[in-house]
Amino acid sequence: MVIKQKSKYSIRKTVLAILLICNINSNAQVVSDSTAADSALLKQIEQQMLSGQSSQPAPSKARSGISSNPDIGVVGDFQGSYISKGKKNVDAYLNETEVSLQAVVDPYIRADFFVSFGRDEVTKKYGVNIEEGYLTTLSLPYKLQLKAGKFKEAVGRINPTHAHALPFIDMPNAYVNYFGDGLNDEGLSLSWLLPNKKFYQEFIAQATSGREESPTFMRSENNRFIYLGHLKNFFTINDNTTLELGITGISGPNDSARVTNMLTGDLTYKWKPVQMNTYKSLTWQSEFYYSNAAYTATESRSSIGLYSFVDYQIAKRWFLTGRYDYAQKPFNKKIIEQAYSLTAGWDATEFSKIEVEAKTTDDNLQSRYYQAWLRWIFVIGAHGAHQY
Amino acid sequence: MIKMNSIKTKNSMKIKLMIPVALLAVSFTVAKAGTIKVVTTTTDLKSITELVGGNKVSVSSIATGFQNPHFVDPKPSYIISLSNADLFVTVGLDLETGWSPQLLSSSRNTKIQKGSAGYVDASEGVGLLQVPSSVNRGEGDIHIYGNPHYWLDPYNGKVIARNIADGLERIDPSNKTFYEDNLQTFFKKINEKMAEWQTRMAPYKGSKIIAYHNEWCYFERRFGLTIVDFMEPKPGIPPSPSQLVKVIKEVAADKIKVIISSPYFSTSSSDVVAKQTGVKELTLATSVNAFNPIKNYFDLFDYDIDQLITTLK
Repeated sequence: MVIKQKSKYSIRKTVLAILLICNINSNAQVVSDSTAADSALLKQIEQQMLSGQSSQPAPSKARSGISSNPDIGVVGDFQGSYISKGKKNVDAYLNETEVSLQAVVDPYIRADFFVSFGRDEVTKKYGVNIEEGYLTTLSLPYKLQLKAGKFKEAVGRINPTHAHALPFIDMPNAYVNYFGDGLNDEGLSLSWLLPNKKFYQEFIAQATSGREESPTFMRSENNRFIYLGHLKNFFTINDNTTLELGITGISGPNDSARVTNMLTGDLTYKWKPVQMNTYKSLTWQSEFYYSNAAYTATESRSSIGLYSFVDYQIAKRWFLTGRYDYAQKPFNKKIIEQAYSLTAGWDATEFSKIEVEAKTTDDNLQSRYYQAWLRWIFVIGAHGAHQY
Repeated sequence: MIKMNSIKTKNSMKIKLMIPVALLAVSFTVAKAGTIKVVTTTTDLKSITELVGGNKVSVSSIATGFQNPHFVDPKPSYIISLSNADLFVTVGLDLETGWSPQLLSSSRNTKIQKGSAGYVDASEGVGLLQVPSSVNRGEGDIHIYGNPHYWLDPYNGKVIARNIADGLERIDPSNKTFYEDNLQTFFKKINEKMAEWQTRMAPYKGSKIIAYHNEWCYFERRFGLTIVDFMEPKPGIPPSPSQLVKVIKEVAADKIKVIISSPYFSTSSSDVVAKQTGVKELTLATSVNAFNPIKNYFDLFDYDIDQLITTLK
């Protein structure tokens, strides 16, 4: 029995009096019953039982909302920004409007489209971009799943995640140096769920054509593709704690018509108490990148980068994220960026959140500079779950 | 000699014991290998599946009995059991919309996808309450098909059991008689227990209570309670100061004795109301295994009714 008469929180009578005056009648849920009572099926069961013990009134009406239209959702991402260098220090813009269209096509495949109406950081002009558009098979044998189309590639944890779902506003320096706004190409992706009953293991192999403009991998003028392999290992330590360890290898053509090879690793520790998972949680996530780019027949350049962040849920709606970035420039590893950032987030509901981030960056070429952002994410329509 | 004999006797006894144990182990392995593997989203569905499926099924639940079924984290580890399942049972009505569709599509298991023989929506045929006439998220977490907490009416347990039996019979028709017999036993026990529960609750018919979240409407209607208001100003929105003031006034005006909540909600706001008014706080179970004594679907109502009666006395 859990009867409580706790006195953990007390509100002063004066405050109560003020609140009484300000009382707002907000219980405005307008609902009606589908029926004043139970279903036809239940009635049928009752008749079968010949018990006559329950009073089960009329059947329910047919359910509403049936449609063959895809699930449609729109995510708005409004931002304000500040930077301590340059002429224009303060700006405000609708950073992105993402429209998602998702549905099962037939018994064999489903389709997911994410159309992004975004703002170019350099030109400041808005344009349309197919962020992702792919089909996924539903019925391949041997625990296989094939994706075909344009998709976010399976590099670690950040790349497959849509920006609005991340617990910070800017991307880590190392990630931007290697992938720009993301490794996101056209091609094929084959995923295999390994028959391991002790822990979750998935291997993903991808072959893509590359983009015209990208920091590391480029679309080849001949028949060379970008090849990627990712092994994901997910361990359940206990009901409240999990650990994910991933390793990724990428090989593909670069802007010198030669090959760049990358090796990346990701490690994610999550603590979410099952019973109170909406109130408290902690995520510690890190990714490491190594790149080796051949520029001539005899010259190649290697570099490394990493980020590590801790995202702590202070209360039901409040999150705090601290992140450290370390990044060697891929073209010259002697230029090293280091950055520290802190983001505070307030999740009003599952469908809107406000975040504020402050960041300081230092490299060995220019003096330290400071940045700040404000982001307001808002969602209408359907919105599916994000990766755990 | 005596020692030798005793050793021999012990050894022969050991061998004699080992043979049946080994046979039991083999038969157990065979039996387990032949069982229908069922994954349910909640522990209530697991309990009913076990009652209907008996020794023909091995069942696991994704959610525990003490967590909020709206907000289960879609951990990849759940995909392992889903990928090997023969039957998947869901509460439906978008209760699990934030997590189960993603897990299902990642399972690569065609047997349990929506529309397949191994997919059971336990809500099929349930008479729904609070079906909205229009959908506006300004009203909070509104479920477009109606309130999804229907398993908290024991009579709806019968509908759930019928749907689960149908699913089991689709994929294992050779044991139809077995499932039907268990189903009839379940119906009979529900009827017997309902008579007991309603008799016990009769003196408290019309009792006014406050609930934390709008998840008790089926229980409320079946057992004749009256939920006056909720701690949440709108479903899914945490209690606001103005809502607390409103509830404090209602508790005083209606002489409300109890605020009921669930194991996965913070009690900090109802603590405030309790301190101001003297109203009692009661954490009821919304699912099987929410608390230790609740081992099956019948225990769930035994527990909640015991707690309510003790508090409302």
